Amino acid sequence: MTMTLQGAESTETSARPTPSAPSAARRRSPRTWYRGGGLANFLFVLPMLFVFTFFSWSPIVQSVIMSLQKTNLIVAEWVGLDNYLTVLSDPELGRAVINTLYFAMLALLFGFPLPLFMAVLMSEVKRGKGLYSALAYLPVVIPPVVAVLLWKFFYSADPGGVFNTVLGWVGIPPQPWIQDAVQAMPSLVLEATWAGAGGSIIIYLAALLSVPPELYDAAEVDGAGIWKKVWHVTLPQLRGILFIMLILQVIATAQVFLEPFLFTGGGPAGATKTVLLYIYDKAFRNSLGGDYGEATAVSVLLAVVLAVLSWLYFRLTDRWSTS
Amino acid sequence: MTTMREKSPKSIDSLAERTIVSTSERKRTGIRFGMSLTHVFLTLTLVVAGLGPILWLAKSAVTPTQDTLQQPFALWPNGIDWENLSTAWNDIHIDQYFFNTIVIAVGAWFVQLLVATTAGYALSVLRPKYAGILNALVLATLFIPGIVLLVPLYLTIVNPPFLGEVNLLNNYLAVWLPMGANAFNILLVKRFFDGLPREVFEAAKTDGAGPFRLFWSIVLPMSKPILGVVSVFAIIAAWKDYLWPMLVLPDPAVQPLSVRLPAVQSQTELDVFLAALAIATLIPIAMFLVFQSVFLRSAGLGGAVKG
Amino acid sequence: MKSPMRALIAGVAVVATAGALAGCAADAGGDADGKTELRVATFPPGADAAAYEGFAAQEKQFEKEHPDIDIIGVEYEWEGPTFAVQLAGGSLPDVFTVPFTDSKTLLENGQLMDVTDAVDELGYTDKFNPVILEGVTGDDGKIYGFPRQAYAAALHYNRDLFEQAGLDPDAPPQTWAEIREAAKAITDATGKAGYAQMAINNTGGWQLTSQTVARGERTQTDNADGSATSTIDNPATRATLEFLHALKWEDNSFGSKVDLDWGTINQEFAAGNLGMYTSGSDIYTALVRDFGMDPSIYGMTVVPMEGEEPGTLGGGDIAVMSPTIDAETKAAGVTWIDWFYMQKLMDEDAAVLDAKTLDESGQAVGTPLLPVLSRELYEESLVWVEDYINVPLDQMAPFSERIWDQTPVGEPKSKTQEVYAILDSVVQSVLTDENADIDALLAQAQSDAQAKLDE
Repeated sequence: MTMTLQGAESTETSARPTPSAPSAARRRSPRTWYRGGGLANFLFVLPMLFVFTFFSWSPIVQSVIMSLQKTNLIVAEWVGLDNYLTVLSDPELGRAVINTLYFAMLALLFGFPLPLFMAVLMSEVKRGKGLYSALAYLPVVIPPVVAVLLWKFFYSADPGGVFNTVLGWVGIPPQPWIQDAVQAMPSLVLEATWAGAGGSIIIYLAALLSVPPELYDAAEVDGAGIWKKVWHVTLPQLRGILFIMLILQVIATAQVFLEPFLFTGGGPAGATKTVLLYIYDKAFRNSLGGDYGEATAVSVLLAVVLAVLSWLYFRLTDRWSTS
Repeated sequence: MTTMREKSPKSIDSLAERTIVSTSERKRTGIRFGMSLTHVFLTLTLVVAGLGPILWLAKSAVTPTQDTLQQPFALWPNGIDWENLSTAWNDIHIDQYFFNTIVIAVGAWFVQLLVATTAGYALSVLRPKYAGILNALVLATLFIPGIVLLVPLYLTIVNPPFLGEVNLLNNYLAVWLPMGANAFNILLVKRFFDGLPREVFEAAKTDGAGPFRLFWSIVLPMSKPILGVVSVFAIIAAWKDYLWPMLVLPDPAVQPLSVRLPAVQSQTELDVFLAALAIATLIPIAMFLVFQSVFLRSAGLGGAVKG
Repeated sequence: MKSPMRALIAGVAVVATAGALAGCAADAGGDADGKTELRVATFPPGADAAAYEGFAAQEKQFEKEHPDIDIIGVEYEWEGPTFAVQLAGGSLPDVFTVPFTDSKTLLENGQLMDVTDAVDELGYTDKFNPVILEGVTGDDGKIYGFPRQAYAAALHYNRDLFEQAGLDPDAPPQTWAEIREAAKAITDATGKAGYAQMAINNTGGWQLTSQTVARGERTQTDNADGSATSTIDNPATRATLEFLHALKWEDNSFGSKVDLDWGTINQEFAAGNLGMYTSGSDIYTALVRDFGMDPSIYGMTVVPMEGEEPGTLGGGDIAVMSPTIDAETKAAGVTWIDWFYMQKLMDEDAAVLDAKTLDESGQAVGTPLLPVLSRELYEESLVWVEDYINVPLDQMAPFSERIWDQTPVGEPKSKTQEVYAILDSVVQSVLTDENADIDALLAQAQSDAQAKLDE
C-alpha cells in the first residue's frame, strides 16, 4: 500500500554512490533528493524539528548538564554529582517527598474509586446520562486557578466562612482547613478531586458503555446476578483502562504544584510543600539567583523515579493482563 | 486500531445496547427502587458538587462584600450589586487580561495544530528515511515530566540562541512555541493519519498531486475529528496554563487571567474579585455548553482504548 | 542519509544567519545623535498611571536641564525570578535600585558599579548617615551605590477600631503588654482581629526579626571574617513567639487568618478588619493608593522597645548602576541619580519642585521616612515642602515624635531571605499549632539557619 511513497526511497537507493565515483554521486544526489520529495519531507518536519530542538530536546540535555554544575548564570563550574548529594541529604527534600506521597495516597484513596463508582451508577440509568455527564464535567472546565482561588475562599477559617457555615448547619464547629498543618493536605486533595473527578468519570463511562453486551448476556445465562456480573465481566473488561488511569494519576499527583502553591505556598510550616514546590523554590524563590544546579538535579531525579516507576508498572501489569 | 470513525449515536443513552443490569432485572421492584434511588443520588451529588460552586460564584459575583462575608448563602439580602462586574471589567482591567488569554489561546492553538499536523503527516504519510528516529525522539519526550525542562527553557527564553541581546520575556512566542513541542498531539495525529485509507492517497498521486496538495486538499479535510480533538486540548491547555506564563510574562499588561487573578487578589475588594473570577469562568463554561459533544467525546477518547 | 542531513545543516545555517542579522539590528543601543542614552528604573509593572505622569513630568524637567542626556524610563521590579537572570545577563536598566539587604551579595558578585569618586566629587561622602553608608561600602572600602530612601519599623493601628473599643486613638499602646490589652479590647468590642502579624513568603521571618530587635536581641551576628552566626534562639525571639501564642490561643485576638504576607495584611488592615500590626513605616502610600484605605482611619506609632539593646529594624534601598556601562553612560547615570534621588533631600528648590510635581499627579507627599542623610536636613526638607504635604501627619505624630529615640538597626546581611524562610516556618507553627514547642522550634531553626550560613 505504501509502494508509491516508497518510490522516493528506491530512487535514492539507486542513487547511492559507488565507492569509486564519489564526485559523480555528489553531483547527482541533491537533484534526486529533491525529485524524491526530500525538500517537501524536510519542510514538513521543519516546524516540529524547530520547536522540539529549541524547546524540548535541548532543554532536556541542558537540564542534565546544569545538574552537574554550580552556576550563577555567569560562571558555571563542574561539580559532578555534588548537587545530587546535597539535595539527597537535604531534610527538606525528604519532607517534600513524604508530602508528595501523602498527597498521592490521599488522592488515590478518594479520587480513584469515587469516579469509578459514579461512572457505574451513571452507566446504569436509562436516561439522563448526557445531563449527568455534563454536570460531572463542569468542574473540569473551570480554569484551575479560578477553582483554587474560589476554594481558598470556601476554606476560610472564619466561623462565617462558606464551608464552616455548612458545617455549622450540622452542628460541627468551625475548622481551620488550610491554616492547620493536619487539615491542610486533605483540604488540597479534596479540591483536587473535585476538579478532576469529572474527567475520570467520562473516561470510565465511555469504557463501561463499550463493554460488549454479549458478555453480560452470557454471564446471565450462567445464572450470574448483578454483583457476579460486575465482578466477572465489568471489572475484567475495565482492567486495561483502570491500570492506565492508575499510573497516570500517580504520575500526575507526583507533580502537583498549583494547589500547594496557590492554597498554602507550601505551609503551614512546610506541611504541604511538595517536590515540585521544592524545585520551584530552589530555582526561583531567591531574587538574587536560585540554586539552578540543585533544582535541575532534583527534577532529573524525579524524572528518573517516574520513569522507573512506569517501567516497573508496565512490566507488572503486562504479566497480569496476560495471565 | 483506533480509527476515529464518526459514531453519531442518537444520544449517549443509546450508546450501549445494555449494561450490567439486564432488562428483566430492571422489572424487579427492588431494582426499580434502586434505580430511582440512584437517580436521586446522582442528581443530588452532581448538582451540588458540579453545579453548586459555580452557581454560588455567580450569585456572589453580584453580592456586596459584607453580605458574602456574613451571610454566604443568603440570596442578596441587601440587593444585587451589578457594579462589581463593571468595576472588575474596567478598573481591574479584566477585559485586558481576558483579551490576553484569548490571544494566547489562539496562538497556542495555531502553533500546536501546525506542528502536530505537519509532523504527523511527515511521520505517517511521507515517511522519509529519518522518520523512525524522529518518531522515537518525540515519543521519548512523553515520559519526561515538564519540570525537567523548566529552568533551561526559562534560560532559553531569556537568552535565546542566535538572537543576540533580544530576550523573549513578555513576548507571547515564549508561551506559544514551547506549547508546540507536544508529543501527545503528534502521537494522536499520527495514529489518526495511519488509519486513513492509503488508496485515496494513491488515487490523488496518480492525478498528479504533490505532497503539499495531498496534505492540504486530501489529508486535512479527512481529519476533521482529530483536528477537533487537538484543538480542544490545545485551547483548554492554553486557558489553564499558570506556572509558565507566570515566569515568562512578568509584565502585567500582557498576562493572562490565570496569572493575573492571584496577583491582584490582595489589592481587590472581595466582591469585585469574585466578579472577576466569575467573568474568567464565563468563556470556558460557555464553550463547554455549546461544544459539549466535542468536549465529552474527546475526553472519553481514552475509553476507546482497551487493555 | 547524506543529503537530508546536508539540507538540515543548510537550513540551520540559514536560520542562524537570519538570527544573527536580527541580533545585530536589535543591538542598536548606545548613542544616537550625540545624546547619551540612559535607561533608568521607574516603577514596578502595573503601577498607577498617575505615577507615570509624575515621572514623565520630572523626566522633562531633567532633560531641559541636561539636554545631552536622553532618559528612557524602564519598568523595573527588584524581585521575582526575572531579576536574577536579567542581572546576570546584564539586561537591567543602567540605573536601578536594590534593597539594602541584597547589596552585600551583589557587591560580592561584582554586579554593582564603583561610584566612590562620584560620591566624593559630589561631596556626599560625609553627608550620609554613617550607619546607612556602611551598607553600601564593600570590603575594599569603595562605595557602590547611593542610599536614597530608608524606613523603620512601625506599629500601624486603626483609629476607628480604637474608638469603637473605647481606646484613645491619640494615645496608642507603648508597651507590648498594652498592645495585648488593646487587641483584646478591640476583639471583644468589634469581633475583628485586634492584632495580627505576617507569616508567609519570608515576611514572617522579617517581622519576627523586627520584633526580636525591638525586644533587645539579634537573630544573627555578622562576623568580621565574613562568616555569620545565627542567634535565633534568644529570649527576645522566644518572647515574641510567646506573645503571638498568647494572642492567638489565649486571647483569641489574632483573628482567623494566619497566612498573611505583606500584601494580604495590608489588605485586611485597609478593609478595616484588623486593629494593629507592625510593618515598614513607609506603607501609608501603598495603603491608600493600592489597597483603597480610607486615610482617616490610619494611625502610626513606634514599635515598643524593651530589653538591653532594642532597635528599630530598618530597611531601604540604594540607587546603583550596572557595572558594565561605559564611562559616558556612567557620568550620565551619576547626574541622573543626583538629580532624581539625591537633590530633593538636600536642596530646597529641588525638593519643592519634586513635591509639587508629585502632589499635582496625586501622589503622596510627606510620608515619614528615615533619613539617609541627617536628621536636621530631613526635618528642614519637611519644612521646605510644607505646602504640598498631603498625608495626615498628625495621625502619624506618635511615630514621628518618638522614632528619633530609637536606634536604627540593619537587617541581617547574610542569607537574609533564606533565614527568613526558615523563620516563616517557626511563626506558622506557633500560629497553627496550639501545642507547638517553642523551645524546640527555636533550637531547630537556629541550627538550620547556621547550616545555611555556613554553606
